[in-house]
Amino acid sequence: MKRGRFHKGLRGFWWLTLGFLYLPLIVVMLFSFNASNSAASFTGVSLRWYRRLLGNDAILSALGNSLLLAVVSSLLALMIGTLIGYGMYRHRHRKLGWLIVLIYLPIVLPDIVFGISEMTFFVKINELTGLLSPGLTTMTIAHVTFQVPFVALIVYSRFVGLDPTLFEAAKDLYATPRQRVQFFMLPTLKPALISGFLLSFTLSLDDFVISFFTAGPESATLPIYIWSAIRKGVTPEINAIATLMMAAVALAALMSLVLTRRRAAS
Amino acid sequence: MAYHATLATARSRAVVAESRHLLLTVAPGALWIIVFLVLPSLYLMSVAFMTNGPYGLPEMPLSLTSFTQLAGQGFLGWSPGNLMTLGRSLWQTVLSTLLVVLVAYPIAYYISQSDQRWRPIMLLAVVVPSWTNQVIRTFGWMNLLAPGTPLAELAEAMGMIAPNMGLYPSNFAVTLGLVYNFLPFMVLPLYAAFEKLNLSLVEAAQDLYASPLKAFWHAVFPQTLPGLLAGVVLVAIPAFGMYVIPELLGGGKGMMLGNLVANQFAGSANWPLGAAGAILMLIATFIGLYAMRRIGKRLGGGEEVVI
Repeated sequence: MKRGRFHKGLRGFWWLTLGFLYLPLIVVMLFSFNASNSAASFTGVSLRWYRRLLGNDAILSALGNSLLLAVVSSLLALMIGTLIGYGMYRHRHRKLGWLIVLIYLPIVLPDIVFGISEMTFFVKINELTGLLSPGLTTMTIAHVTFQVPFVALIVYSRFVGLDPTLFEAAKDLYATPRQRVQFFMLPTLKPALISGFLLSFTLSLDDFVISFFTAGPESATLPIYIWSAIRKGVTPEINAIATLMMAAVALAALMSLVLTRRRAAS
Repeated sequence: MAYHATLATARSRAVVAESRHLLLTVAPGALWIIVFLVLPSLYLMSVAFMTNGPYGLPEMPLSLTSFTQLAGQGFLGWSPGNLMTLGRSLWQTVLSTLLVVLVAYPIAYYISQSDQRWRPIMLLAVVVPSWTNQVIRTFGWMNLLAPGTPLAELAEAMGMIAPNMGLYPSNFAVTLGLVYNFLPFMVLPLYAAFEKLNLSLVEAAQDLYASPLKAFWHAVFPQTLPGLLAGVVLVAIPAFGMYVIPELLGGGKGMMLGNLVANQFAGSANWPLGAAGAILMLIATFIGLYAMRRIGKRLGGGEEVVI
C-alpha cells in the first residue's frame, strides 16, 4: 500500500518534469502559428511568419552559412578524427596518456574559454600575417577542433568492439594494405563513420558560443542570427525559424532511430 | 651471431615502422588540436598578464593589474562589482546543481524501475529537448516568463513581482534556465548508476529491519554516488561559465562570470581582464575534474567518465 502510493507520487513527478522539459518548446511552436504580433496572447492560426521567412535574405544566408560550415567542418573532422581513432587503437598498448589528455581537452574546456581563445589567437595571427580574418574559415577551424575528439572516440570504440583476429585474418589472406582498407576497414567502420559525421554535423549546427566569437560580419549562422534578433527585440519570426529547426532535429533523430532499429533487426 | 644481429635490426626496424605509423595516424589531429586549441589557450592565458591598452587590446609591459581588477580594483578605487559577479556565479552554480540533483534523482530512479521496453524511450524523452539549440530553448523561457503571460500573472497575483513586470530578467529566471538546461546531464549518469544497482544489498538491509530511509542511505545512495558525482561535474563546470542563459534571462543584474569574460572582448573593453576571468574558469574546471578523479578512485570505480 505504502509502496503503491510512493510509486504513484513518482509517476506524477515524472509527468510534471516532462511538462517542464517540453513547455518552452511547445510555446515556441504554438506562437510560430500566432496571427498577432504579441507574444502574450494567441489570437488565431496563421502562417504569416513562415511566409515572411522565405522573403528574408538574412535568414536564408544564415541558413546557407550554417549548412556549409557544418558540412565542410564535419568532413574535415571525419578525416582527421578517423586517423586518430585508428592510431589510438593500433597503438593502444603504448602509453598514450598525452594523446588522451589532448583529445579530451576540447571536450572539457568551457565553451566560452574555447571561443575566446580561438578569437584572440585569430586576431593575433591576422595582425601578424594578414591571414585568417574572421569569417567562415576561422569558424570552420574552430568547429573542426571541437568535432575531432568525438569522431576519434567513436572510431576508437568501434575498433575496440571488433574481434582482433579479424585484422590478422585480413593480413593472412595476403590482402595488400590498400585492399585491407577498401574491403575490410571501410566497410567495418561505416557505421562509426556515419555516426561520427552525423554527430559532428549536429554539434556544428547547434553550436552558438564558439561560432559567435569566431564569426565575421558576413558569416552569421542561424543560431547567431536568432541571437541577434532576440537581442534587438523579440520578433515572432524567431518562433517560426526555431520551430523549423526543432522539426529538422526531430526528423534527424527519427531517422537515426529507424536506422539503428533496422541494423539491430538485420 | 649474424643471425641475432639481423634479428635485432629487423626488430628495431619494426619498432621504427610502428612509431612512424603512430606518428602518421595521430600527428594530423594532434597537431590540429595543439595549433588551434593549445596554443590559443596559452596565448589567452598570457594576455591575462599584460597591460590593458587604449583599445582594450593587450600591451606590454607584463603586469598583474587584470587580476586586481578582477578582484574589484579600478580607476575610482575599489568596487565590489566583479566580486559580486563571481559570488553570483558560484551561488547560481551551487543552487542550480542542487536543484538539478533533487529533480534528476527521482526521475532516474523512476526510469530504472519502469518496464524494460519503455526505458530507452523515457531516456530519449528526457534528452530530446536538449537537442534543440540552447538559444532557442532560452528564448522559449523568455516567452513563458514575459509580462502578461499566465506565469507572470500568477506571480503577480501572489505578490511576488510588481504589476506589469515579467519574471525575467532576474536571478530566479537564470536559476530556472540553468536547471532546465542541465537536467538531462544529471539524469543520464544517475540512470546508469541505478541501472547497475545491486538490489541484494537492499534486501539485506530490509532483512536487518532497516527503515526505508536507512536502507536507502546505506544500501542505495552509496551505489549511486559515482553517477551522482559524474553528473555534478557535467553540470557544475559548464554552469559556472555559462554565457547564453544569464545574458538572456538575467539582464545586467544577473550577470555571471561567462558574461563578465565575454563583455571584456566586445567593443573596446579590457582583454587582459577577460583573460584573467578565463583563467579562473580553467582553474575551476581542472579542480572539478581532479576532484572527480580522486573521489572516483577512492570509491573504487576508477571508471572514466565518457561523455
